[in-house]
Amino acid sequence: MSTALARTAAEEALGFQLPNRRMEDWRWTDLRQLIDKPYPPRQKVVAKSADVDRLLASSLFSGVAATRMVFVNGEYDATHSKQANGWVESTAALDDPVNLMNVAFATDGARLRIEGNVDTPIELVFISTDAAPRTVATRNVIEIADDASATIIETHVGEGSYLANSVMEIRIGHNARLDRIKVELESHDAVHLAHAHVIVGQNVTFRDFTLTTGAKLNRQNGTFRFIGEFADAKISGAYLLAGKQHADTALVVDHEVPNCASRELFKCVMDDHARGIFQGKVIVRPGAQKTDGKQSSHALLLTETAEFDAKPELEIYADDVACGHGATSGDLNHDHVFYLKSRGIPEAEAKALLIAAFVGEAFDTVHHDGIREALAVFAERWLTEHRRKG
Amino acid sequence: MTLLNIDNLHVKLEDEDRDIIRGLSLTVNPGEVHAIMGPNGSGKSTLSYVLAGREGYEVTEGSVTFKGEDLLEMSPDERAAKGVFLAFQYPIEIPGVATMQFLKVALNAQRKARGEKELSTPDFMRLVKDRAAKLNVSQDMLKRPVNVGFSGGEKKRAEILQMAVLEPSLCILDETDSGLDIDALRVVADGVNALRSPDRGMIVITHYQRLLDYIVPDFVHVLSKGRIVKSGDKSLALELEEKGYAEFTQDAA
Ligand SMILES: Nc1ncnc2c1ncn2[C@@H]1O[C@H](COP(=O)(O)OP(=O)(O)OP(=O)(O)O)[C@@H](O)[C@H]1O
Ligand SMILES: [Mg+2]
Repeated sequence: MSTALARTAAEEALGFQLPNRRMEDWRWTDLRQLIDKPYPPRQKVVAKSADVDRLLASSLFSGVAATRMVFVNGEYDATHSKQANGWVESTAALDDPVNLMNVAFATDGARLRIEGNVDTPIELVFISTDAAPRTVATRNVIEIADDASATIIETHVGEGSYLANSVMEIRIGHNARLDRIKVELESHDAVHLAHAHVIVGQNVTFRDFTLTTGAKLNRQNGTFRFIGEFADAKISGAYLLAGKQHADTALVVDHEVPNCASRELFKCVMDDHARGIFQGKVIVRPGAQKTDGKQSSHALLLTETAEFDAKPELEIYADDVACGHGATSGDLNHDHVFYLKSRGIPEAEAKALLIAAFVGEAFDTVHHDGIREALAVFAERWLTEHRRKG
Repeated sequence: MTLLNIDNLHVKLEDEDRDIIRGLSLTVNPGEVHAIMGPNGSGKSTLSYVLAGREGYEVTEGSVTFKGEDLLEMSPDERAAKGVFLAFQYPIEIPGVATMQFLKVALNAQRKARGEKELSTPDFMRLVKDRAAKLNVSQDMLKRPVNVGFSGGEKKRAEILQMAVLEPSLCILDETDSGLDIDALRVVADGVNALRSPDRGMIVITHYQRLLDYIVPDFVHVLSKGRIVKSGDKSLALELEEKGYAEFTQDAA
């Protein structure tokens, strides 16, 4: 069907067909319509060191002690990195369009194998500097060895107009622990397409948090496969969107084995004409008994023109499971706003506090105090300082 | 200068035509404590909300001046910064906002609005600890989100703590005594009395004479069907306790 459509300029430049609304998963995010200019891939852009420094400093976690690994315009930047890159093979065969483009376009990416208990967080910073519109793609593969533990931050920042394509393959070995924190703080003129593919081993504790707030157009896929019993995963996220921002998260949590627990919690704030989408699918394979899989999404719409769509899906092929989903959507509680104002807090500040309180619940999965604190500070200042305009 | 002057105030709900306050006049001078009593539904809370600036009400007639300025023109936060404080009849729970943070943001927002220097964190902590100890508010309560999980009595004490920290010049207490046990009533009354001063006025709304044994008012007013139908000194409260409101609810129609 879609083959009958004439290629858009973007598709010409990419040499790929972009997903469109006729595909079930992409019904709210028709990239053919939404990507309105060409972003040619594999353009080499040399960055000025001062630009890199400035963007590095714009990370929410620049004040947090971390081992940094920096990628600039799709390539490892040794001068700004403390952490050396290694090599781990990619193994995920994903047929979604974001991944197919990533395989074709990726120029570099973090390849890390983590062993033992790594206490200091590792921050992977992906920087795109201001240049002609282009695709910047990285493919990252991270392996957490059996019994290892780590905190890995993924920060995406940039300036100007570009399309970031980021694929993260993560394999977590038995008895390991991983805290992953992702912040999408791309340029307001950027498109961010991502896929996180996580394989969760036996007895694993996995915590995943994503803040989505920068790009004008964001689509993040997540695939989480439980392949060993007694693992526990909490996957949470927050949207702070304004202007005409559009963000769509599509997660598949796949319980292939018994006795695992998954929790998804997304708290989404949309202002102005922003649009948020949360699609969450939980699959419980035959025999995956005692699965405990729950997901919920909650939206806070600050205007009548903001929009949120939630599509929860349960596919359950086992009978002894506890699965469920919930979605709510509403505006700020006027009584709360009045109470704060009656104590002298001006309207904007009152709203900012309530917004931070709303999304704050999603930060609870983040263990590291400094990281959680940095997220809270950003959330509190989002309405008055950080929000995208226009 | 008078602190608060309410003149022939008429208030209705924005989306209903019925008047709730119907020609109310009241003057509060600095240093005075006014008790307002009256049957359920007579408009006591409505009056307090209108003074605090809650939306949903429409003033159809009359005026309210506070320290010589038109109070009704100000937003709720401006009123608070100017010195108006309402201890709510039903304090609101705000999940996710820590009590300490809330108090600090509120106090500093008010100071900023008045052109005063913001309080440093250590100074602020000292202030709150001192006030909290006097009101038997535990550290644990301060660590929780605003009013979340507080018992009815704890919420009332928390309201008075806010008042003690913010040090307003007009305190409006809407049934602060309801829900308090006998000991808490004394603690709260002591807290309120500690705030009595020659330049601070108070409006104490209550159903019970007992509170007025502790917080002795200069004036007692009976509010019925949206207007003050009788005013007197503290002996009026005793009289009401004995006779009830029958006399007023019949006449005031
Ligand atoms: N938001 C509202 N919607 C509908 N009716 C209202 C609203 N606010 C007040 N009223 C009505 O206005 C009248 C006065 O209410 P108010 O709460 O001021 O009484 P009160 O004197 O404080 O009573 P109580 O002693 O029970 O606290 C009541 O009839 C009440 O039902
Ligand atoms: Mg009342």
